[in-house]
Amino acid sequence: MKQILNIFRKDLRRFWSEIAVSVALLVTYSWNDVRGWSGERDVAAYGGIAAIVGYQFLSGLVTVLLPIAWAFLIVRVVQGEALVGDRQFWITRPYEWKKLLAAKVLFVVITINLPLLIADVFLLAKAGFPPTHYVAGLLWMQLMIALILILPMATLATVTASVVQTILAILGVTLYMFGVAWLASVIPSSSFSGPADSLELILVIVVCVVVILWQYAKRKTAGSRWLIAGLGIAIISIVAVAPYNTIVSHKFPRIAAGEPLPVQLALLPAAPIGDSDAPEKEKEITVQIPVGFSGLAKDSIVVVSGVMVSLDAPNGLRWNSGWVSLGTELFPDTKDIMQIHFSLKKAFFEQVKSASVKARISLALTEYRDKNRRDFVTPHGEFLMEDVGYCFAETSYRREIHCRAPLRTPSSMMITSDLSANTCWAMGGESRVEIRLIVKNWYQNSDSGPAELGISPVKNVDFHLWARNDNGARPIVAGICPGTPLVISNPELVRRFGTELEINSLHLADYRLRESDSGGTGFGIRLR
Amino acid sequence: MSAIHTENLTKKFWRVEALNGLNLDVPEGAVYALVGPNGAGKTTAIKILMNIFGPTSGHAEVLSVESTRIAGQPFTSIGYVSENQELPEWMRVGALLEYLRPFYPSWDRTLEDDLIRQFDLPRDRKLSNLSRGMRMKAALASALAYHPKLIVLDEPFTGLDPLVRDELIQGLLERAEESTILVSSHDLAEIESFASHVGYLEQGRLRFSEELTQLVERFREVQVTFDGAARLPEKPPESWMQINSSAAVVRFIEDRFDPERTRTDIRGAFGEVRDVTFSPMTLREIFLAMAKAGRNAA
Repeated sequence: MKQILNIFRKDLRRFWSEIAVSVALLVTYSWNDVRGWSGERDVAAYGGIAAIVGYQFLSGLVTVLLPIAWAFLIVRVVQGEALVGDRQFWITRPYEWKKLLAAKVLFVVITINLPLLIADVFLLAKAGFPPTHYVAGLLWMQLMIALILILPMATLATVTASVVQTILAILGVTLYMFGVAWLASVIPSSSFSGPADSLELILVIVVCVVVILWQYAKRKTAGSRWLIAGLGIAIISIVAVAPYNTIVSHKFPRIAAGEPLPVQLALLPAAPIGDSDAPEKEKEITVQIPVGFSGLAKDSIVVVSGVMVSLDAPNGLRWNSGWVSLGTELFPDTKDIMQIHFSLKKAFFEQVKSASVKARISLALTEYRDKNRRDFVTPHGEFLMEDVGYCFAETSYRREIHCRAPLRTPSSMMITSDLSANTCWAMGGESRVEIRLIVKNWYQNSDSGPAELGISPVKNVDFHLWARNDNGARPIVAGICPGTPLVISNPELVRRFGTELEINSLHLADYRLRESDSGGTGFGIRLR
Repeated sequence: MSAIHTENLTKKFWRVEALNGLNLDVPEGAVYALVGPNGAGKTTAIKILMNIFGPTSGHAEVLSVESTRIAGQPFTSIGYVSENQELPEWMRVGALLEYLRPFYPSWDRTLEDDLIRQFDLPRDRKLSNLSRGMRMKAALASALAYHPKLIVLDEPFTGLDPLVRDELIQGLLERAEESTILVSSHDLAEIESFASHVGYLEQGRLRFSEELTQLVERFREVQVTFDGAARLPEKPPESWMQINSSAAVVRFIEDRFDPERTRTDIRGAFGEVRDVTFSPMTLREIFLAMAKAGRNAA
């Protein structure tokens, strides 16, 4: 223990300026965060747009600078007793590697984790949430920071000899990540990588821990670097060879024969178009297939989590989109047509457009049950919203409910409103809806941990309503203001399942999307 | 009993063989000078002994501990100073000593003060602001203040002025009775003044390793004078090096000098000669002769 404290005290003396900078940034962050909760309302009322921009600029700046300051501190303290090289004086002194590592861990805990924990406790208390009720969440946040920031930075610091080398390594890792992201974008179905992502994350954590321990115990830098390179190759291999179709079929099993579907799907006839020839300049043709959906129970919601389209032409030509991850929500009381659109190479389209193509549309669907529905009239001033936190209706600028929540945003909360009963003032050019028009907004947070990753434990949640005027007329008054009646509910996951639509004779030329209809190329679903 | 013992120690850096089957024994209490030309493998050998590198093959023991296990506690008995060691230059001299103190159970505050005085070290000066010589003295003070059983010095005198060298050597000699000292150096004149043993390393191999007095006794510069023109022997003994002639004189270096045997060898090689003289050699002269012989052999 004496040796640990001796090294720790030495590091404190040496890096006091770096510590001071990171603490100053943390204090600035906390002050600005508090300013943001209630401040935006006041800023909008008394300070105007310039003050809001100032707040947001400072918020963005400190949010970037603070992790950089922490990363710099981690690299500096690890390299205070550099593990790379053969000339460091400390390697021929009676340092015990476990105690040296413990001293570095102690330094990080005292100079990064502890100030952050104190700031988090302060922010929670200041936001009106008793910190003692959120101990597990606060510790979880510390663990997240340790895994996402501290562990990778410490790993890079142990295999590099200087800050410059570490920066170059970070650039290399960033380029590598872009490369992996590009690779994933060109591999069909790779957006359904759930278990593969988890495996990659576990591998990263394990390799980081092994490298750190190995470097401190043996200082085998070449071996450690090879291990990191091996991790890079392993991740690329996982991205390249993961059985995405198996992952999808496992996560979204085909529904058993005879079991009723919560939603009925049917191909709709194509809208007639005049000229089916593609313009010469186009390289890709967008095809749009309208699918009607019906039969949804009143309290049922179905989310189209993914779609795969495959085409078989009589001349042997084939095309498959691979699974594409989506999140289109189908509600019982709103739209009833989804337009599935996808892009084909012009050369392929020209070869098959007049043929009778066999099409298969595979759908990965998630069914939710809308539960815990309750009427809610938006109050004046600050109020406590169940499952969320402290909220107020911001009327002068965004016309939304602005909330601060402890540790995490709600897992699943839906706001439903009839715009004909909206109580907001009409802003310039807006028109008020006279007949019943239901709009919904569903807030989901798939993060299942007790807290979300972040510096602040106080999460901002903004509930707003939005509606497009399909007739192209004036915008609709669609905000949330004091007095606006809402229905709040908590959709709960019921099951995930897969289904298919088979179309034996599809004339793609009839389904080509005209340029004037285009809402963008690529793969997607539009609701009508 | 050896303070340092190595067997067939080999180190390869990719395809370059820095050490080739080194067998070295440094007796306890010796002041052992490891000498050799640049690239001979002296620093590599020392770094393996200090477990800074691992050996490719063979093994080494330092104070009866396998060199690959030297870390942490064993360094409480070893003082290591190297010319290219990176010291914590942001520290002041006093802070460095204060920081190191708790690492060593045998740290001697009185000795620390003595060393500071002896080396004239300013406690409040940052290491980065010290001259090279002063930095070496600070490093040495920090390696002597805990009475190490073994002091290992890698080229400690390189680039130092004579006064600083003297101070360092004086500091070392005062500690010589309680420690074994292994020092690698090019500064043969200085080594000669205090080494008890010497090892000559060349191309990763130990050419010889013996007590300095024996070595100096073993080497002689021999001058053979003829009545007429000098003639070179057709098949000289293997112990003769650098044989050359001019006018009526042949000179060579004998590396296994024994008055009777050497005279007999001379008679066998040259027959009757007018005069033979044997001149003692300095360590530097011996080193140069060995280096040249090695180069010629290569």
